Amino acid sequence: MMNSLLDMLLHPLGIYVIALGAGFLIPLFDRAHRGSAVLLFIAALAALATIAGVNLLAIIKGAPPIFIETAGISPPFSINMRFGLFEGGVVFALNSVAFLAALHLLGSLRKHASALLLYLIMVMGINGMIMTRDLFNLFIFIEITSLATYALIGMERTGSVLAAGFKYIIATSIASAFFLLGTVFIYYQTGTLNIDDIIVHSDLIQGPIGLIASLFLLTSLLIELKPYPANGWGLDVYETAPSGIASLISVGVSSGVLFALYKLLPLMGDFLPSIALISGVTFLASNIIGLKQGNARRLLGYSSIGQMGLLTMALVMLQQLDAMDMAIIVVGGLFINHLLAKAGLFWLAGIVNREQINDWSALSQHPWLLFLFGSMIAALIGLPPFPGFWGKWELIMQLATADYYGWILLVLAGSLLEAAYLFRWFTRAWQGDITTGTAGLPALRIRFWQPATVGIAVFLLYVMGSGMATLMDVTVPAFLLPLAAGLAMLLVDGLPGRLKNIVMLLIVGFFGIGLTHNLTGINLLFSYLLVGGGLLISIGALYRKDNRRGFYPLLAVLLVSLAALLRARTSLEFFFSWELMTLSSYLLIAVGRNGLKPALSYLLFSLGAAYFIFAGFAVAFAATGSLLLADLGDAGEQAGLVFGLLAAGFVIKLGGFGLHIWLPGSYAEADDDFTAILSSVVSKAGIFGLVTIAAYLGVQADIGLDPAYVLGWIGILTATFGALMAVFQEDIKRLVAYSSMGQLGYIVTGVALMSHLGWISALYTTVNHFLFKGILFLAVAGIILRTNERLMYKMGGLIKNMPVTFTFTMIAIIAMSGVPPLSGYGGKWMLFNALMDKGWYWIAALAFFSSAVAFLYMFRLLQTVFLGQRKLEHAKLREAPAILLAPQVILIAAIMVISAYPKLLLDPLSATIDPWIASTLVWEGTSLVSHYGNWNAPMIMAIVGGVWMIPLIILLLVSLTLKIQKVEQFNIVFAAERPRRPEETHFAYNFFAHYDRAIGFLVRPRATAFWNATVEWTHTFGSSLRIFYTGNGQTYALFIIMYFIGMFLVNGGLEL
Amino acid sequence: MIPDIPISLIALCCGLALILIGLWGMLTQRNMIRIIIGFSLIDTGIHMVMVSIGYVTGGTAPIINDSVPLAEAVKRIVDPVPSALVLTAIVIGLGVTSVMLSFAVRIYKARKTLMIDELTESKL
Amino acid sequence: MIYASMSEWFGRVGYFGLTLLIVTVYGLLVGALIERIIAKVQGRVGIPYSQPFINIAKTFFKRTAVSHGIMFYLGPVFRIAGGIGTLAFIPVIYGSEMFSNFSMAGDLFLVIYFMFFGQLGMALGAGESGHPYSAIGIARGLSQMTAYEVPFALAVISIVIQYDTLSITEIVAAQQGGWQNWTVITNWVATLAAMLAFLGMTGYSPFDIFLAPQEIPIGPPTEFHSAYLSFLQINRALFGATKLVLFMNLFFGGATGWVELMIKTLLIYMVAIVVGVAFPRFRVDQGIRFFFKIPTLIGIMSIVYVQMVLA
Repeated sequence: MMNSLLDMLLHPLGIYVIALGAGFLIPLFDRAHRGSAVLLFIAALAALATIAGVNLLAIIKGAPPIFIETAGISPPFSINMRFGLFEGGVVFALNSVAFLAALHLLGSLRKHASALLLYLIMVMGINGMIMTRDLFNLFIFIEITSLATYALIGMERTGSVLAAGFKYIIATSIASAFFLLGTVFIYYQTGTLNIDDIIVHSDLIQGPIGLIASLFLLTSLLIELKPYPANGWGLDVYETAPSGIASLISVGVSSGVLFALYKLLPLMGDFLPSIALISGVTFLASNIIGLKQGNARRLLGYSSIGQMGLLTMALVMLQQLDAMDMAIIVVGGLFINHLLAKAGLFWLAGIVNREQINDWSALSQHPWLLFLFGSMIAALIGLPPFPGFWGKWELIMQLATADYYGWILLVLAGSLLEAAYLFRWFTRAWQGDITTGTAGLPALRIRFWQPATVGIAVFLLYVMGSGMATLMDVTVPAFLLPLAAGLAMLLVDGLPGRLKNIVMLLIVGFFGIGLTHNLTGINLLFSYLLVGGGLLISIGALYRKDNRRGFYPLLAVLLVSLAALLRARTSLEFFFSWELMTLSSYLLIAVGRNGLKPALSYLLFSLGAAYFIFAGFAVAFAATGSLLLADLGDAGEQAGLVFGLLAAGFVIKLGGFGLHIWLPGSYAEADDDFTAILSSVVSKAGIFGLVTIAAYLGVQADIGLDPAYVLGWIGILTATFGALMAVFQEDIKRLVAYSSMGQLGYIVTGVALMSHLGWISALYTTVNHFLFKGILFLAVAGIILRTNERLMYKMGGLIKNMPVTFTFTMIAIIAMSGVPPLSGYGGKWMLFNALMDKGWYWIAALAFFSSAVAFLYMFRLLQTVFLGQRKLEHAKLREAPAILLAPQVILIAAIMVISAYPKLLLDPLSATIDPWIASTLVWEGTSLVSHYGNWNAPMIMAIVGGVWMIPLIILLLVSLTLKIQKVEQFNIVFAAERPRRPEETHFAYNFFAHYDRAIGFLVRPRATAFWNATVEWTHTFGSSLRIFYTGNGQTYALFIIMYFIGMFLVNGGLEL
Repeated sequence: MIPDIPISLIALCCGLALILIGLWGMLTQRNMIRIIIGFSLIDTGIHMVMVSIGYVTGGTAPIINDSVPLAEAVKRIVDPVPSALVLTAIVIGLGVTSVMLSFAVRIYKARKTLMIDELTESKL
Repeated sequence: MIYASMSEWFGRVGYFGLTLLIVTVYGLLVGALIERIIAKVQGRVGIPYSQPFINIAKTFFKRTAVSHGIMFYLGPVFRIAGGIGTLAFIPVIYGSEMFSNFSMAGDLFLVIYFMFFGQLGMALGAGESGHPYSAIGIARGLSQMTAYEVPFALAVISIVIQYDTLSITEIVAAQQGGWQNWTVITNWVATLAAMLAFLGMTGYSPFDIFLAPQEIPIGPPTEFHSAYLSFLQINRALFGATKLVLFMNLFFGGATGWVELMIKTLLIYMVAIVVGVAFPRFRVDQGIRFFFKIPTLIGIMSIVYVQMVLA
């Protein structure tokens, strides 16, 4: 008896029974005691979720879909409902979110018993919309939901909410009228209201009446989904309604409508293109307009509408491509993502309760809330490991298979815009104190239980996202390891900073070696650089004694994801790790002193780069039908496009010419030890990508010269302009950052050569760059630590205090400059030879020029920091800490060994490349012989050592007889004066003023100006897209009518 | 002589006319009460359209008994479903209308106006 | 090492020592000769030929010196090591194993890059003196260097295409068999570009602002004196002569004997002297712009020329 009762209650029909029953009981209970009504309400909602969950579980385990029939008669003569996998999934997710939303809203809901009732009815209405298979019944449920929504909005008595609510009612009631008319006409033609029956007899829907009927239904549902531009009414409600209600409208009602549309899609075969277009335009337009938005909730509204547009588009596309079996990943992933993230964001907006996004700076005091906030934003953008990542991936792959490149562009562009405004918002929240005229606002008072619902949503996002990995062809454990490492570090985040560093080194070492130990070839080579190098440079971070909360977990994620990147066999695994790397490095830059702003531009450019890579992989997948990286070469005719897209992505990541504006700021403002990692390790990921695709595509597919030649030019222009810009920097970190950019340019050119010698030079320079940039940035970290300055003209004469740092810096700079006998010469020599071999003479000439220009900034760094006159206040500075010097010693040793015996490095490099291009290295003893000349490194080393030692010995001998007097500072004669302060004579500021006069016009910040203008134009464009939003409900109604007329005319109305 | 126009056609035309009048009212009248009346007109119009669609000229009530044998039922009786739907639709329409009116009342209390074009503070 | 024995290695070192001596002495004598010629033009008597040697001896045997620090001390060492090393990597006399020095260690590319070695070390030494004129001089010199490097690089690329080699010995070999085979005839465009760059490289007027004795008392070496200065003086002669030898090898057929070498290099040097006497000093930004205009254009044309005409 009990069992059967339980069975009955657990049947999906129980959802309605419980909702309605509780609905009747709540007012009664309320009479007795408010608390009991609330309890009943919560219990009922929990029951709704439980019922859906239990049944869904059964279906997942293999039970058949449940059909609910009413009135004892089978359909089509009665109303029936279906509870299958899709229905169950959506209903369960929705009811769970509704439960959480209720908890979040409880404070305001419990003020009126009727609010509890309405809420319950609203949830039930959405359940009905999803489950019912009867057209008229669908209308009823839409109306039930709408009525409950209206009433809930009306609970607020402020004018703006009511006004928005009224507009909402006008709009949705017109939409309902359309739906009703459509239903009637469909019935008129088919004689049935059962959706399955209608689909079977869809051939009966014809002629003008059929067209109008279908369009009525379609327009009605589309309007409910708030398409641009007929959506001002929806935005007003999002902006003003209580956050819990807004969250349910955004994720609940919209999802119900979307599901309804999904059910009716088989009837809409002719209209799929226009639905796709409408939703695509909505996605793009909402995200462009979002850029101009200052109001937090309205911003969420735009994002919400955009996401629904994307979901609709994805659904329609899958239908159109006959790929509905992917819906569970694409639509399911995007849906869950949107559901949890958007609901969570609305709740957070309720907790923060600040209207303007600038005022969200109050969050900066609450790191955990920031963490939740950031996670949800990352989820919305579709970053890993969240469900949206998988959904977007599969969507793009499907679009590519159908050659819908325009759609790919639209999705990626929209996503980038969305990232721009969401992360800008996040940045403002994190930034704290910099608020505009709102300093007077009181600090947030958040009770500990308030964020609990948001926390659960975020937790579910992580779980669902990681779980979805199992649905894809991903070796799950390996690629989730970065997150595991981060989580492990998060658990010990309370430990002292240095201890955490050691723990992190152990974890990363363990995971990193575990991930990379069985690699071969190029991947193996890069594993030494990325994992080994990353660990080595991270040792330097031990010089910081402070706690650095959050730093080490992120660094662990970054380093392990680099290792995972090397292990990737498929483009999906590659992209997953790549995005994780992007995200973690973004956050690591952002924790720097003034890192937030540059971090934002870093992120946006990195995402742009990632989307190029994404598109490239998609095109490759379409061409080859395989996700394996090794199959990239089979891309055939598309190889050029694939190569171009992927190369563009990697070049942006490397700070290629014109796309570099993110680079100096990020490098300069990141923590000093992290900059070393960023430059010497993380940038190598881009090189790795470039080399990989060059290997798979450049050689195998024989794509011809052109894209490679363009890449060669990009590389050398990057080198030239990187060097030129470095010359004019006053800030030491920016100088080294630009220098880094320039050096990477040579590597790009080397890769672009597509010849054995070119690649050897690229890999050799890569290793070398790792060595000298590691030293330079660690040395810079030491200098900044001691002087607390970054502007070079505020330093000077530090050779006296920091001789070791000076020596290391000098060696690194000589190695970088290419002056023999140190290692840089070899890279230059090989590059030049390879360029001449290939006949790229103009590039060779520019390479000459840029390496000459490089001397300018290299000397400037040494001169203005270490030489010249020391500042008086720096007289007592000490040498950099030993722990910071320790990694440098190892790097110096490596430089010296490579300089004297480059064969030790070149042989393995050559062996790495040999599988792709036959070796052209010819050794005669220790001499490397090229077509043009030769390079005998040990001999050069010996000769230079000799000619250096002889005069030194002579001078030392002379010194024995000479009375050499060590003089004090300022002991110079300068215009017959004896200077007293270093500022008078330390020639450092604007060191190359004359050079600036001569050719400075080349490096005016044109790229920055261009990108700023682009941003400005986009904003203006976004602003102009808002002209439809007059705020007048009647205008909005007019748009809706016109929308229908438009749909009618476009879809054959003209031919009638 | 009145032409022999089926009553269902008259109902249909009237219904469509009502819908258009209602739409015109919703789009042109600035007073919220009038807008609501416009909505009511649309609603009523739709109901008339629904009823007219189910009507079979000269048909009888959809009760299957001796006078209407089962075999001829389809041709001779009025389709009962639209009528049933209309009943439900009327109820819903009533609900929506009343909610709209209550909004109008509350807006008037909060803002002392019924003009919809004065309620444009949230936009852009 | 590719030597059969240590004795061969020592032999080579010995011959190189001889080369070094000859080139240095020659460089000093040429310096004196030029001074005398300029003096004659200006109606003065001028210095005796022994003057440069006396100068060096005088500074070398000074009894006191000051030091601004370790890098200051090492600066002249780097400087002269740069000069000696550059010479070591250039084969001086064509066809003579004795005087091919250590040119087998590398090629033209090595020579060009090694020229920076001494300049960089010297710049660092001068920098530690803390004298602003040193820093200003170096900043100017480096800037100008990037400018004349452009036509020079273009010219070098042009002749590398022409001769299909980077080896100086082979470049000289290809020019044997009469003056009509010299680069200056076969590839006069590249030679023109390189000679314009040469004006900047020698540091004579109009491109001598970085040493400018009046404005920034001789610039980088301002603070150097006594033995340091003697090193710099020796290097000035040595390095100058080395550059002449390089230009002779690349563009004027090289030399098969010391006499030919001396005549040719003197004539090459005279180009810089004549221009220097005739033209006043450029401001540094003017100098830079000069090199980026006509000389660079000629350099570009030289590559076009070698591809269109000589190919």
